Amino acid sequence: MNRVFLAALRCEWLKRRRSLGAWLVIAGAFFTPAIIVLVRLVRRAGLPQLYADPQFWTLHWRNAWESMAIFFMPMAAILATSLVVQIETRNNAWKQVHALPLHTATIFFAKFAVILLMLAQFLLLFVFGVWLSAVLPALLPGGVAVPPAPPLRQFFADTALYYLDCLPIVAAQYLLSLRFNHFVAPIGMGFLAWVAALSALSWEHANLVPYAYTMLDFLRDNPEARRAVVSSGMHGLALGWFLLLTAAGYVVFATKAQKG
Amino acid sequence: MLCLETSNLCHRYSAAEAVLHDIALAVPQASIYGFLGPNGAGKTTTLRLLLGLMRKQRGSISIFGRNLDTHRVEILRQVGSLIESPSLYEHLTAAENLALLQRIHRVPAARIAEVLERVGLGGARDKRAGAFSLGMKQRLGIAAALLHRPALLILDEPTNGLDPNGIIEIRALLTALNREEGTTILVSSHLLAEVERLASHVGIVHRGRLLFQGTLEALRRERHGAARVALHTADDSHALRVLADAGIAAHGSEHGLLLPPMPPPHIAALNRRLVEQGVEVYAIGAEGGDLESIFMNLIGSRAA
Ligand SMILES: Nc1ncnc2c1ncn2[C@@H]1O[C@H](COP(=O)(O)OP(=O)(O)OP(=O)(O)O)[C@@H](O)[C@H]1O
Ligand SMILES: [Mg+2]
Repeated sequence: MNRVFLAALRCEWLKRRRSLGAWLVIAGAFFTPAIIVLVRLVRRAGLPQLYADPQFWTLHWRNAWESMAIFFMPMAAILATSLVVQIETRNNAWKQVHALPLHTATIFFAKFAVILLMLAQFLLLFVFGVWLSAVLPALLPGGVAVPPAPPLRQFFADTALYYLDCLPIVAAQYLLSLRFNHFVAPIGMGFLAWVAALSALSWEHANLVPYAYTMLDFLRDNPEARRAVVSSGMHGLALGWFLLLTAAGYVVFATKAQKG
Repeated sequence: MLCLETSNLCHRYSAAEAVLHDIALAVPQASIYGFLGPNGAGKTTTLRLLLGLMRKQRGSISIFGRNLDTHRVEILRQVGSLIESPSLYEHLTAAENLALLQRIHRVPAARIAEVLERVGLGGARDKRAGAFSLGMKQRLGIAAALLHRPALLILDEPTNGLDPNGIIEIRALLTALNREEGTTILVSSHLLAEVERLASHVGIVHRGRLLFQGTLEALRRERHGAARVALHTADDSHALRVLADAGIAAHGSEHGLLLPPMPPPHIAALNRRLVEQGVEVYAIGAEGGDLESIFMNLIGSRAA
């Protein structure tokens, strides 16, 4: 990475300070863990049995990822991407960005990198929140003992794959956000695409749907799933979609007739 | 030597009518070039093209002697701009807004306080841009354009939203920059009086055509050509006969009778003559010399 790109990246990272997107990343990451804590506090009677289970960490991890993989992660990708791009549109700032001595590619990838970093931040905070949600109920008076040694290596490996699964959504939303000036358009289309992916889950070609990978990742090999999902080659396909949609987004960005 | 030069610059937003026709700007090095024209004339469109903010359709642009198409990034390093409303991140403070640009331009951080002081925002550095008044936003926009000491400043109606005092301050600031640092300034405006007080060179654009380009001196001569003497009397047709006898070409208009410009002693003599012939004179005064009459005059001379 050269110095100009690094300067542009730092500039983009500064811009998201105190922005709605930056708050959303934090609030969204801790939402599911907070719900888990709440539910366990309500059902305190069941705690000793749950915490005594030798499979405790696996169950806890799956439990936390359910709403995340199906709903929160796609939504976070859709909202964070639109909100980051919206910072420029709302402040009428694209014209200033394009009048800076930067190549189009630098502008495009610096902003994209910030979105990807925010998503990584979102997942890391989530993993921390999941650990916290296991430990907190145990700290209650007369509480239960936390099973030792969470399989952190496994957690991070799973999380990295979920991150990869989510990349096509980010790239598609980036393209849409750059194409449409009003943020309602990309968010609306993203939401529709998520609904479509949800209903395509049981389709035999579900593994080709760019918005479906986080859901497929959660549902595959799931003993509780009502129906098996087709997920063959999903991580490779996710990567393929990501690269393709990123390239398409760059073409849309670079060929805009009017820049801000 | 020219700092900025365009030739044959044309633009159309849609298949409809072109909004720029063959614009050939010539902005001399170290000049303050007033780009003058009424609303919708094509000033902003031209300035956007100069910054590469729109895809160029026809013509060529060269800045600092280099082609904009092939040396865009190099050129932009030396250009500061403010197009229409300032681009400010409203959730960030004034200083943070400038810090973003300071990273890209790689100027010392101390420069931020310096430019804020220069545009009169020294006391507002930690205030959020969203909480700024219109005039303060405009000042911050100008500070952003000045941050990296550009050799060329492109400002689109920079005094928009400023109070009379602010207009004078910004004018003084631009004049000082031009004098002290030799900054070339291309500034658009729809007010002739403002350009006259600031610019050394003027380009007048009207309906997408460059009607006039030259020094302020040359514009003054044009302006003189556009001046008229207006005459209000009790009986215009009687007055017209008297004027015709005196060999003065006059015509009626909604402002009374319009006469070609003439030196003051001639006006006095004319008045005497009208009174002697029994015409009651209500008023005699100078008319024209404003932007509209210069346009009419320029358009007339083009057509002729
Ligand atoms: N985005 C656009 N799409 C279509 N037409 C446009 C667009 N922007 C400007 N125009 C048209 O181009 C012409 C020139 O507009 P421009 O904004 O360059 O004028 P201007 O001289 O800057 O006027 P003002 O003094 O009001 O700022 C106008 O007729 C306007 O209607
Ligand atoms: Mg304009």
